[in-house]
Amino acid sequence: MANSNPKKTSVKRKHTEKDDAPAVAPVTLKLSGLEMLTDDEDGDDYNPEDDTDDGEVDDEDDDEDGDDEDEDESLSEDEEDQDEEEEGSTEEDSEVESDYHIFPKAKTVISDITGQPKKVYPEIEPDYDSDSSTEEATNRVGDVPMHWYDDMPHIGYDINGKRVLRPARGDELDKFLATVDDPSAWTSAFDKTSQEEKPLSSEELDIIKRLYAGENPDENYDPYEPMVEWFTGKGKEEIMPLSAAPEPKRRWVRSKWEKQKIMKIVRAIRAGRIVGQKPKTTSKYEVYSIWSSEPSTSAPPALPAPKRALPTNAESYNPPEEYLMTEEERKEWESKDAEDRERDFMPQKFTSLRLVPAYDQFIKERFNRQLDLYLAPRIQRTKLNIDPTSLIPKLPSPSSLRPFPNYKSLNIRHPKGRARCVSISPDGNWAASGDEDGVVSLWEVNVGCEVKRWKFEGKIGSIEWAPRQDVSYFAVGVEETIHFLIPPNVDSTTLAQTHALLAPSALPSAGPTPSPVKWTSTSVSSWSNDKPILSLTLPPSSGVPTQLQWHKKGDYFASVSTGGATQNAVWIHQLSKRHSQAPFRKIKGAVQLVLFHPTMPHFFVATQQYVRLYNLAEQKLIKTLMPGYDRKLCWFDLELSEKPYKVLKYHSRAIRSLHFHPKYPLFASASDDGSIQIFHSRVYNDLMTDPLIVPLKILRGHQITDGLGVLQVKWNPKQPWLASAGADGTVAVWCS
Amino acid sequence: MGRLKVKGKAGAAKNFTTRSQAVKKLQCSLADFRRLCILKGIFPREPRSRKKANKGSSAPTSFYYTKDIAYLAHEPVLKKLREHKAFAKKLSRALGRGEWSAAKSLEDNKPVYRLDHIIKERYPTFIDALRDIDDALCMIFLFATLPSTTRLPREIVENCARLAAEWQLYIMHTHSLRKVFLSIKGVYYQAEVMDQTITWLIPYSFTQNVPPDVDLRVMLTFLELYQTLLGFVNFKLYTDATLVYPPPLDAKKDDTAAGVGAFSLQTAEVQVKKAAEKIKSVAVDGRTVTGKDVRQTIKSITAASGEQESGDSEMAELEENVEEEEAFVLQTSHTQVASDLPTLQTLSSLPTSSTSNLFAPYTFWISREVPRSVFEFLIRSFGGRVGWPASSGSGSPFDESDENITHVIIDRPSVQKEETPAQRDLRLRRKFVQPQWVVDSINASKILLEDTYAQGKSLPPHLSPFGEYNGAYDPTAEAEAGDDVDMSDVEEEEAEEAASDDEETEPSKDNVEAALASVTEDPATLRAAELAAEAAGMDYGTFEAKVKKASKKSSAKSSKTVEDAEKDMNKMLMSNKQRKLYEKMKYSQQKQAAENDKLESRRRKLQKDKATQ
Repeated sequence: MANSNPKKTSVKRKHTEKDDAPAVAPVTLKLSGLEMLTDDEDGDDYNPEDDTDDGEVDDEDDDEDGDDEDEDESLSEDEEDQDEEEEGSTEEDSEVESDYHIFPKAKTVISDITGQPKKVYPEIEPDYDSDSSTEEATNRVGDVPMHWYDDMPHIGYDINGKRVLRPARGDELDKFLATVDDPSAWTSAFDKTSQEEKPLSSEELDIIKRLYAGENPDENYDPYEPMVEWFTGKGKEEIMPLSAAPEPKRRWVRSKWEKQKIMKIVRAIRAGRIVGQKPKTTSKYEVYSIWSSEPSTSAPPALPAPKRALPTNAESYNPPEEYLMTEEERKEWESKDAEDRERDFMPQKFTSLRLVPAYDQFIKERFNRQLDLYLAPRIQRTKLNIDPTSLIPKLPSPSSLRPFPNYKSLNIRHPKGRARCVSISPDGNWAASGDEDGVVSLWEVNVGCEVKRWKFEGKIGSIEWAPRQDVSYFAVGVEETIHFLIPPNVDSTTLAQTHALLAPSALPSAGPTPSPVKWTSTSVSSWSNDKPILSLTLPPSSGVPTQLQWHKKGDYFASVSTGGATQNAVWIHQLSKRHSQAPFRKIKGAVQLVLFHPTMPHFFVATQQYVRLYNLAEQKLIKTLMPGYDRKLCWFDLELSEKPYKVLKYHSRAIRSLHFHPKYPLFASASDDGSIQIFHSRVYNDLMTDPLIVPLKILRGHQITDGLGVLQVKWNPKQPWLASAGADGTVAVWCS
Repeated sequence: MGRLKVKGKAGAAKNFTTRSQAVKKLQCSLADFRRLCILKGIFPREPRSRKKANKGSSAPTSFYYTKDIAYLAHEPVLKKLREHKAFAKKLSRALGRGEWSAAKSLEDNKPVYRLDHIIKERYPTFIDALRDIDDALCMIFLFATLPSTTRLPREIVENCARLAAEWQLYIMHTHSLRKVFLSIKGVYYQAEVMDQTITWLIPYSFTQNVPPDVDLRVMLTFLELYQTLLGFVNFKLYTDATLVYPPPLDAKKDDTAAGVGAFSLQTAEVQVKKAAEKIKSVAVDGRTVTGKDVRQTIKSITAASGEQESGDSEMAELEENVEEEEAFVLQTSHTQVASDLPTLQTLSSLPTSSTSNLFAPYTFWISREVPRSVFEFLIRSFGGRVGWPASSGSGSPFDESDENITHVIIDRPSVQKEETPAQRDLRLRRKFVQPQWVVDSINASKILLEDTYAQGKSLPPHLSPFGEYNGAYDPTAEAEAGDDVDMSDVEEEEAEEAASDDEETEPSKDNVEAALASVTEDPATLRAAELAAEAAGMDYGTFEAKVKKASKKSSAKSSKTVEDAEKDMNKMLMSNKQRKLYEKMKYSQQKQAAENDKLESRRRKLQKDKATQ
């Protein structure tokens, strides 16, 4: 190791010589083998010299950082700098430095041969002093473990092969005393080769200090050295080419293709295809005369938006006082949602214009208007600007359509029950009415004088005079039987004919099929006015015959029973043959009414839902009429349709009865609301003219009892008079 | 058998498109679709059967005509909107990458759509545009006063203010204002332009705050359309009136809140003349000086030198007169050359009726608490001259001490104070009226009596000049008539009662009266009544008279009831549809009548209260 770095060691030595007067024998330093003697007191005070040195360096650093105060200081620092440099000078430095040089100074001379300046160094004298390697330690064992010599008296051999004796070593006390005596003891380390303490040089101490501080051990190492630019900057460019290839042609010849491209653009610019710096759009709302040209489309413009309603007096800032809201109105207005309010503002009154505040809903209102404009569907509605009364049909005045029943002229009372039915004789002089108590009363139509009264067991369902003029009798439907009664005071010829009809001497032979209906007649001899001359018993539990309907010739009649258990409620009876038959085997729905066609062999059957028209001769269904449900009066044109031609809905309750006058163009309807409605009805032969229906009169006079009003109405066949039976137990005659 | 019909291939199913289908078809966002609908004026339609139109679904959707949507698909604005979408993407990418120059060039070439073609489509003729301009005016006047925010750029507000001022200038210039109404919402104006009645509403000048539930985007889209529309309309109106459009704006005046006065109207003839004059214009200091320039410089000098000088205003007036004369002469010569038939120009240059120059002989001073913009507009549109204090803005042609001022519009309570004889003299020479006087005079088209509107007096009610529906409650006309009837009735009754009290004091009088009431029913009751009268000691003559009167009354009543009954009966022959319509009409009539009655009774009550006080 020592041999390997002779120059360095020599430098060290020179330093020591120069600095310190007592020359210490030069030793090779082997840092790896160094052991600090005093571990305890390592950091405090090294070496006064070193310490001061450090301090100075620090100061200098500070000064450099902050400021240079005065020349004196800076001068002294310079000196110290120089000192430092001298101390830590390396070989390169020493070459430059003049004063303290290890090598002899080189002289620059002009060479005789080349003519160039050259450095000439002085000759080195090869004596002992000249080379540091000769001043080596005496022990020359080399780098061997020294414990090999532990048992020996010597510690190695010198250059001449002589033993180097182990230096005398005192005991621990001596060592301690030596450390006490020697101030530099703690800066010395045990040298293994010489087996004794050797003081460390200041360089070594410096290295140790640096290592402790974690710095680079080399004092002159500058980590922040400025970069030396070798190849960049002016005059330092690399001029030597990297490749020997010749420079390509494209470096100096213009590109043909680029030229073509450029020429293309140039041509486009010249032609105006490319506009340099497109003119900026000046404004979004640039205006010009847009309506100077004709409209482009002939299509009609879209529906214009409806304008807003113009403000009314209530919106004024100073309205008449009556427009202002009362307290209740204001509360109501405030409690309502904005959509439900009739007005979107509250009328207010200000005494002067300067007091009017801002309207806070202004923007909201505008916004709502816009929502309406683009979100609301628009429909064009023709606004009817007509007088509502013009909608009411113009009809002839009722006064021009006289006669019709106008007022109540008679009132017959049935004190014990509801008057169910009434019937007026074909000659128009007599009327018979029956009630639910079983009383049938016969009375004179003109005066109302009761002539005769019959009493039956059970309810009277219906009464009907026979339509024939030459005979005089009527049929009464009571509790599953139909009785035939002859009124009293009939002239003899009529009576005889009636007797002959109802109780003929020779009974017709029984029909081919036995009928469940029994005909029983009392003999003429035992006959009296009090008892029915002929009775007809319907099958048991068939219910009360609520309707009797005579055919116009008076031979046939139909009966409808309701409230019974049996299905077959409609019977057609033939008087001359004393035969009854059920025309329908099974019928859908409950039959309400039946009717013979006045001229043709047709038969109407009305159930709750529909009206059926049968041809009795051919025995088949002709038509089904659809009147619909309650409270309506439907006017059908049989030639037109099954749907009603006209529906009149004027009764507030169910319609109970309807009757056409046989002679006059009148009909009447009676309802549970207690009123009777008289109509004028006329059908023209001309097909183009619509039938005329004129409401004439509403007759009120019957009381509503138990929710029932007028139960039956019948016209007087000869006069425009009406008889009505009411649930209040009265039978009234209405005269014109 | 015919061809099988496939469901949903014809009829309503094909003619109607739901909104979501439309958006899908147009391949745009819902916001863009809305914008397009607003701009193009496309609105939803109500199909007869929603089920048929929507494949059997009755979900609540809005329907559009399929043809409308197909028509939208070719809209250039839609293309621009798509371009804008791409642009926005590019811009955001450029910004995200920090490519500022690229972003700038993108921003420079930003796609901007114009609405000219839409205006032309929606309003094929100028009259169509005028007819539909009400909403546009309302919006533009509203936005002209809104504060600009981040959501509402300043440019828009400025443009709106400019358009609004131009419109007002035109109305003032042509004296076409007809009616004005001061309502609690704002001021309604009605003008007649090209025979079209145009009504617009301007809010009072307070800060409006945009409520949070208002979608400003929708409003701005509408505003875009309206700005374009009003721009074109203004252009057409100005050019038709041979005025220069846009009217030059004096920025300095505008900055000092001169309002409408910041714009100066120039006739096109003057421009033409100016062009002709250019040849003989004088060159001073190397730049040409025209007569116009000279006039303007004089004006500016006088304006700058002192606004206190009363002579200044006269000078300005002179100036105006000169201009008007020039214009007038030119126009007449022009029309003579053209033809003898009345053209639009001749008609418009006809001497305006006296009502439109209602305030011509007067000079007004607007006090500082009166909104100047409103009353300056009103007075100038009716030919009056108007001035205002500097605190309400600059540009007043004269100051308060002007001798010519005839009316002072003042809106403060009168205060007694010391005054010098000169002030007193000035005060007595002028008429101090409240602002309502101006408006009421305009609506009455005559100068109303100033005393009722004098300073500090409680004003008569301000009524709407637009009128109400036919037969509505009229607070003015019925005031006298209704009163008379009522009063006479009451008086008569009272007199009668007094007389009868004098004649007879028997308690049986009531019975006789009651009997008389039912006298005409039948002879039996008549007889009974006679007996009752006899018992009461009434002589036969008076009884006869009474009977006659009662019978007359009752017969009139009965005939009326008979007619009513007949009518009621005839009602049953109405068809269902007619009946429903009838009931509806009757309902509304009754409602109106009830409203009128309510107002009437309230007024009577108020009058009574006043009388008792």
